Amino acid sequence: MHRFNLYTRRAFLDQSFKLTLGVALSTLVNIPFVMKRALAEGNIGLPGPDGKVKKLLFIFLRGANDALNSVIPIEDPAYALSTTRPTTGIGIAKDTENAINYADTGPCLDLTQWTLNPNTRLLQPRTATDPTYSYDRAIDLGTGFAALHPSLKFLAPVYNAGDLVFVHRVGYPNQSRSHFDSQNYWESGAPNNNLVRDGIFYRTILESGLANKSPLTAVSVQSALPLILRGSAAAMTNLADPARYDLLGVPNTTAGNLKADQFFATGNLLPTPDRKNRELLALQFQNLSDTLQIFSQIPFSAEFYDNENTDQDAPYNLFPTSAAQNGGAPFHGGDSAKYVVDNSTSAYTFFKNLKAAALILNKTDAIIAGTEFGGFDTHSSQGGVTGAHANLLRRLAWAIYALRKYFLTQADRCTWDNLVIVTLSEFGRTTVQNSSGGTDHAEGGLMLIAGGGVRGYGKNGSTTGVFGCSPSEFSGANADLNWVPGPRTTNPATCGTMWAANVNVTQGYLKRQTDYRSVLGEIIRKHLGATQSQLNRIIPGYNPSGDKPEPELLSGGLSSVDGTKIRGEVGFLI
Amino acid sequence: MKAARFAALVACFTSVPWPSTLALAQQPAPPRITRFEVSNATARLEFSLFPGAQAYTLLSATNPAGPFAPDTGFFLASYPITNFFTNVVNNTNVIFTNRATLWEWRRTNVAGAAGFVRLEATPLASNALLAATVLNRLTYGPTPDELARIALIGPDAYIAEQLAPWNITEDVALTHSNIPAIEAKFRAADQIVYGTNAQIADLRAWHVLRAVGARRQLLEILLQFFENHFVTEYTKSRSFFAARYDDNPLENALATQLEYLENARWRTALLNPACTFYDLLEISAESPAMIIYLDTVSSRGDGTRVANENYARELLELFTMGVDNGYDQNDVTILSRCWTGWTVELFDPTNAFNPFASKTTNRVANLNTNFPPDDYRNLIGVWARRYRSDWHNTSTKVLFTNKFVPARFGPPWTTRTYGTNTVPGLYQLVVPGRTGTNGIREGYEVLRHLADLPFTQEYISIKLCRLFVHDDFPNPNNDPTQTNEYNFYNYAAGNLSPEAELVKACMLTWETNSPRGQIWKVLETIFKSDLFRSYGASQQKVKTPLEFVVSAIRALRTSTNGSNLAGSFTAWTDGYAVATPLQRMGEMLLFDRESPDGYPEAGPPWISAGTLAERVRWAQSFCIPAGQPGHAGSQAGTGNDAQNSACDPVGLLRAKLPASAWTNATEVADFFLGLLFPGVGPGNLQFARQAAVDFLNDGSADTSTTYRNTPFAGLPVSQGASAPYNERVRGLVAMLLALPQFQEQ
Repeated sequence: MHRFNLYTRRAFLDQSFKLTLGVALSTLVNIPFVMKRALAEGNIGLPGPDGKVKKLLFIFLRGANDALNSVIPIEDPAYALSTTRPTTGIGIAKDTENAINYADTGPCLDLTQWTLNPNTRLLQPRTATDPTYSYDRAIDLGTGFAALHPSLKFLAPVYNAGDLVFVHRVGYPNQSRSHFDSQNYWESGAPNNNLVRDGIFYRTILESGLANKSPLTAVSVQSALPLILRGSAAAMTNLADPARYDLLGVPNTTAGNLKADQFFATGNLLPTPDRKNRELLALQFQNLSDTLQIFSQIPFSAEFYDNENTDQDAPYNLFPTSAAQNGGAPFHGGDSAKYVVDNSTSAYTFFKNLKAAALILNKTDAIIAGTEFGGFDTHSSQGGVTGAHANLLRRLAWAIYALRKYFLTQADRCTWDNLVIVTLSEFGRTTVQNSSGGTDHAEGGLMLIAGGGVRGYGKNGSTTGVFGCSPSEFSGANADLNWVPGPRTTNPATCGTMWAANVNVTQGYLKRQTDYRSVLGEIIRKHLGATQSQLNRIIPGYNPSGDKPEPELLSGGLSSVDGTKIRGEVGFLI
Repeated sequence: MKAARFAALVACFTSVPWPSTLALAQQPAPPRITRFEVSNATARLEFSLFPGAQAYTLLSATNPAGPFAPDTGFFLASYPITNFFTNVVNNTNVIFTNRATLWEWRRTNVAGAAGFVRLEATPLASNALLAATVLNRLTYGPTPDELARIALIGPDAYIAEQLAPWNITEDVALTHSNIPAIEAKFRAADQIVYGTNAQIADLRAWHVLRAVGARRQLLEILLQFFENHFVTEYTKSRSFFAARYDDNPLENALATQLEYLENARWRTALLNPACTFYDLLEISAESPAMIIYLDTVSSRGDGTRVANENYARELLELFTMGVDNGYDQNDVTILSRCWTGWTVELFDPTNAFNPFASKTTNRVANLNTNFPPDDYRNLIGVWARRYRSDWHNTSTKVLFTNKFVPARFGPPWTTRTYGTNTVPGLYQLVVPGRTGTNGIREGYEVLRHLADLPFTQEYISIKLCRLFVHDDFPNPNNDPTQTNEYNFYNYAAGNLSPEAELVKACMLTWETNSPRGQIWKVLETIFKSDLFRSYGASQQKVKTPLEFVVSAIRALRTSTNGSNLAGSFTAWTDGYAVATPLQRMGEMLLFDRESPDGYPEAGPPWISAGTLAERVRWAQSFCIPAGQPGHAGSQAGTGNDAQNSACDPVGLLRAKLPASAWTNATEVADFFLGLLFPGVGPGNLQFARQAAVDFLNDGSADTSTTYRNTPFAGLPVSQGASAPYNERVRGLVAMLLALPQFQEQ
């Protein structure tokens, strides 16, 4: 019959909607959506031997996180120069305490177990009454070179469990220092290409063969659907506010709701002429119609607590969405010294969204979920041990800590071992602080990757979870990938790495070692299950011919764009 | 099996010739029959739609060569469809029978020999199409009265009116008592601000009330555009003041005042017929809100201090030239030094316009002895721009060293000189290092130079075209190796798309009038273009949350006694009730955008299931009578949507339709469809019309049981909150506002 002779997306939608009854017959006998994939290759979205699907949670740090004050090259003498980041400004001092046996806690000093005696300046076992954050030094990561900002203290237990890796000095050739271009490039997976208008995770879902078949494939929980999930052929879902995802009726009664829903479903299918945004509007209205009933069943307002005492204190709420649920507050009478994150609307909104993203991965068929938070554009009053940037890092570290605890204890459709968490941020910030006590736009950034399947410290023989932040990471022919300590010189061979992206810029741009696409590519292929040829479509130019001529994203080498040597895939997954 | 006795002709033609001025590339595809089946003597047919169709005619013939005659046997018929959702709790599926209705053209009693069907579309009259576009772009959306007026005077006269707001008498202050009440709380730049003065909620309400009710609609559109283009953030100013005071209402009022003052200056500037882009740029640069927002306030270049790059970068990337359009990182760094010394300070009111003054020493009456006497909490004055020569970088700055206007611009841009350069096309700017108060001149020299550059002409023209025409005007690219992107705006090479042609026309208007850069003349160029006047603009843009809410209020708004006075309207808002819905529909916080790119003009960043859910909910809540569940906080935990925005659609019907039509479902449906979707065309609305008529006749949701089985024609006409007539009309309007088409403009 002629009904499949279709030529607009709109018509396709009508068709798929009409055919859902047929689909329902198969799902009634519990055939999962993945079995309905048509001619898809690879394993994206397919259950593994344990019956679980590999999933991904992303967090975009908008505004460009200061990589150098997150994982700090504390042993690079140039970091502590009075002209770089004087510790009276935004610099962080080294950990000089010697009273701790690191063998007790793992390589990263674990401040959930230890605290600093303010009088003796010595570490001592932590007690329940100690403030959440009191340590004012960089936290040693045990690599002899890199250290954590003290506000990242809750990353230590995750790092020591081998479930967290850092990839430092990530970027891309001809790095844009525009927030908006660079965020677009991170999300589209196509640097300096303004013609690619869809997202890297959107294309990942398309390759799964589940787009337009499963109502939920990838979900963001934030104010708008991000480019990373946007595309014209299938709808990914965005939840602006999980607590308000339902419609009313006029009148707002059960019968009024039903009548409104019928007109709403009909109205979305009314034929209309093609318009520029019509496909996206139609897809998203349809997605809203299809997902209303799904989200209404997820207990977004449930509270989840740590499964053990946190900070030697009573268990903390994993997702603090109010002052009363923030850190030790419920157990200490609202003492702000026990807050785990800053007492702010933006922090609570982030954790509300993060909790929803975690619940969606855990309770539905969605493969990818994520959220974002902003404020990282710290041009002025960035702060050091405390202050604006420190507050953002506290949210980030607690988020990773909490997600691990949530998926370890609450696993339903998603286990910690089947999850990878990745953070993105458009670029790093200048090495030298400006006259406003802040840092400006620069190059190399930082990515965090966490999950049970991550090859962090101690896993599969790994001796570290820090990549890209060591002067002795490589030897031989690849030694030029190492971090070069020292100040700026105009000789590229000797210039310190913190200036080496452009030796002529006195403020300093951190030189990249890894392309962000290699990090995302490794996750999409090894974790989510794309084939190499799928990955080559998801990330254009990844390894187009299967070996040469542009192998750098996969296996490293000289970038064909700007001649910078990069390492290729890091190998941070088991 | 019965062979199909009808065959569809795939190619169909419109019966009205194209306007002669319409370029071929702007013609939409003709409608096409997408489905044709015959079974059991019934023919079923569907076809794709043509933008702005007045009507469709189905013709049939027994021979493909014709003759074709109109076939009145076809009628619109509905059929129900069913879908399901997955219960994620127990992983089963729930079937949802008859959830939606689809429509097809049907003809019964098909018999006889093979037949052929042809489809003809009649386009809307070109003035009707243009009138809808004008009301959607030059105003915050059609009102019933403006629709009538533009039909009377014609779209070109309407455009001419809006292009000369200084000739329009503005009486918006009469439309709501909140406008004069809020205006009484604003302060001039040299008046001291207290915590009792306008708060941010007041400024937002005032802005929204003007958008709803102003007669100078295009002016309000432009003020929102430039406020968003030269974006500043209330919250950043608020933090600046919070670091100096312990007084929430005062911090709020001070931060609000900075937003108000720049808005007021832009308004004054735009009411000058010769207003230039430079005028607006200068206001932005001088605004303390901008100086605080992009950190110039603390940037120093004296000694070895590193200037803050934030403002310099966004000035080039976002406010003038466009990203990577004629500048590089080195220019950003050097430019940042020009702005060192621009800061803000608390002055004696007499120094409000003297940037070289020093901090005031005027004390408050009751000194707080817990603080030093010169603590801001013990001083009184006005916050204003200050220039500190002791913070200024006095080195010579060379911007755009040896840079030439790229060849793609062509003449006149490549052949004229820029600034003091004598070589054509060279746009280098040498800013001599200056000491003392002369250092302030560097910023103005830079602004003058930037406002004159072809890159700025191009980028601002592109942004205006995106605002008034459609989203797909890409950013320019000066890298000839990126062939497609470079050639898109290769004015020298010619063979341009209609979009690039329009940008070039705007730039020529900018360039060839004196003074250069006149905003109103550039707009006139856009409004006279084929692209704007054709299908290229019609319904091609998605409404922002602000445009959605304001256009919904306007669409249902008439003054029932013709007075245009507060209290006489059939749709209204107090202004304050709009801020929260805008936040829910995508964090659109007016005057408080965190990111310096401003709120998106393009549709995709606003479209997602979650933000559309908020739009639907707001439309429903807006149409529920005030005081009923769902309108204002009475639905447990999730209500409080529309608050003090409300409407009376039955009142509107009574004002605009003869009484004989009030209970005629078809006439009521047509009335609202015509108001809400004037550019869509009656031919394309016939499906919605059928669905609307069915909705009006469906009494299943009536609160009262009396008329549940009574069709619309049998209902007593009533505006009572729970009257079935009122409920059905309100429900229909809510669902029409929730249609995808109402998100477009």
